[in-house]
Amino acid sequence: MSFLFYIFSALALVGGIGVVVSRNPVSAAFSMIVSFLGLAALFIQLDAFLVGTLQILVYAGAIMVLFLFIIMLLDVREEEKRRRPIINMIGAGGVVLAFVALVITVLSRGEIGKATLPPLTVTEGPGTSDVHRIGELLFSQYWFPVQVVGVLLLVATVGVVVLSKKELK
Amino acid sequence: MPVYYLEIIVVALGLLMLMVDAFVKLEDKRSIAWIGMLGLVVVFALLFVVKWPASTEGAFWKFYSSGDKLALYFKGIAVLTTLIVLVMAVDYTPTILAQIANPEAGAHRQAGLGEFFALPMFACAGLMWMASANNLVSIFVSLETVTIAFYIMVAYLRRNVGSLEAGVKYLILGALSTGFLVYGFAWLFGITGSMQLSEISTALAKPDINTTTALFTFGLILVALAFKVGAAPFHLWIPDVYQGAPTPITAFLSVGSKAAGFIVMLRLVSPFLASAELVGKVTLVLTVVAVLTLLVGNLAALPQKNFKRLLAYSSIAHAGFLVMALASSPRAGGNSALTPVAVIAFYLGAYLLMTLLAFLVMTSLRTKISGEDLDSFRGLAKRSPFLAFAMLVAMSSLAGIPLTAGFFGKLFVFKLAVESQHWVLLTVGLIGAAAGFYYYLKIAASMFLSDSGKGQIDLPAISVSPLAKIAMVALMVAIILAGFNPGLILGLFV
Repeated sequence: MSFLFYIFSALALVGGIGVVVSRNPVSAAFSMIVSFLGLAALFIQLDAFLVGTLQILVYAGAIMVLFLFIIMLLDVREEEKRRRPIINMIGAGGVVLAFVALVITVLSRGEIGKATLPPLTVTEGPGTSDVHRIGELLFSQYWFPVQVVGVLLLVATVGVVVLSKKELK
Repeated sequence: MPVYYLEIIVVALGLLMLMVDAFVKLEDKRSIAWIGMLGLVVVFALLFVVKWPASTEGAFWKFYSSGDKLALYFKGIAVLTTLIVLVMAVDYTPTILAQIANPEAGAHRQAGLGEFFALPMFACAGLMWMASANNLVSIFVSLETVTIAFYIMVAYLRRNVGSLEAGVKYLILGALSTGFLVYGFAWLFGITGSMQLSEISTALAKPDINTTTALFTFGLILVALAFKVGAAPFHLWIPDVYQGAPTPITAFLSVGSKAAGFIVMLRLVSPFLASAELVGKVTLVLTVVAVLTLLVGNLAALPQKNFKRLLAYSSIAHAGFLVMALASSPRAGGNSALTPVAVIAFYLGAYLLMTLLAFLVMTSLRTKISGEDLDSFRGLAKRSPFLAFAMLVAMSSLAGIPLTAGFFGKLFVFKLAVESQHWVLLTVGLIGAAAGFYYYLKIAASMFLSDSGKGQIDLPAISVSPLAKIAMVALMVAIILAGFNPGLILGLFV
């Protein structure tokens, strides 16, 4: 199974690099879908089926369609012509390489990833699916953060309306 | 009354304000702000009578700390800040309307104003939840509630390019810093196996902790929090965002957002400082951040010509003093009542009083005279002795002149540095404070000494709205009283 992990991580990484590098916003958006698919596959490999499915449904599906809509309204050619100063590219690349080197050093020195975890025990029957369990946790143990997120969403909704409505009434 | 009712009341007030805005036909929408202000006064009074429930059973108390006097004090800071921001917002109404309304629309002439008064209420609720948060999850959701409310409020003047630019800058950099915070939280959960702050402290204090991963985690979290409080080298957004945002929101950012950042920093950095394996390196990193922040904030403030930019750099400088207190905490204060936490809490309280006073004066000026340039303060003493005096009190306190609250704030920080024998920090702090004397008192001097410009001889006197006047008098009295007896503020949480 380990080669599958490498394939999908490579897919996610290549997609991510594509988002940053491609000049055309549409191809950047499509690279993002590729990256999301890779991530979703990784989640599914970890037996997190719900998260993997949501990754595809919500991010690769709904949010990307929204992205493409907005890109269609922009002037794509204008964006392609924009020049990127070489010094910025070198700087950004340097920061990324330094951070990757840091993470690799930390991972090789730390114990994370070396511990062997007990295999997941699969229970069958009603009420044991991912969806059921996460839903139950959210509304029992985690009800308070869920309420706060409700306030957050209200604030975001009010903000979107106020900032983007053409004529306020 | 249990303490968690307070946040519920504040959220309910915000909802009520939105409802009134939507369904009640009001000629003057400024009355919506009155609902909020009256409600917040009541909430502030309730802070002194709330009780902690005896039982802390149940899922709720995994996210909300119990029996925490400091949390109550920080909730008070949040409520007071929001109250004064609303006072400023009422005075600022003409500017808001000029920058958001669509002239040819046949809409209400104050369309979009009600939301401007309601959004600070939700940010206030978020700040109050954050003050009590004792779990990574509740810290994160309340911090995001506050931050998202701020993104909207900064960009609120949607026909003003400056405000929109500030909003975009704040949004992009804020999202990046949130990414660092979440990644740090993930590592913290990975190395300690818990989201609960108390369990994280226990896990970090173990002698066999892996220092490499723990320090990496600390670094990620520090990057995010340094961004929130505006500590160097993550301060670059502050001047532009402060200058572009609507003035009341700038005040809210510089007090509310900073207090929030430091509450979270206190809670998250303390476990690292308490661990014997990590304390040396963590202190070193904090010292470097403090030195950089003190130098950048104070020295860059010297040549500023715009008052909002000056206050932005001043806010960076004050963040420097606060990080300095944090950096000198491990070796200091074993025997005195002035623990590092108390010093930081006192400094934040004093900072609230003086910064809000300065912004109140500025909002009153902004609606009457043209700009935010420092030149517009020339000869203010002749035109409005009251405003000039209020500004003088604010500037003296920000500079740290004796008999003001700001003096004791700085004194306590320096005392910590001496106790912990952090001589480098102490030297840089003193240089910063000396530079502060120059740029704060320059404003005070131009108000009293210079005549108003060259050509303009008789500018009309400035009238201040009664509400702003009451707020200014209250803040001045608080600054001077705390300057005589800092115990008045310390007594609230020690």
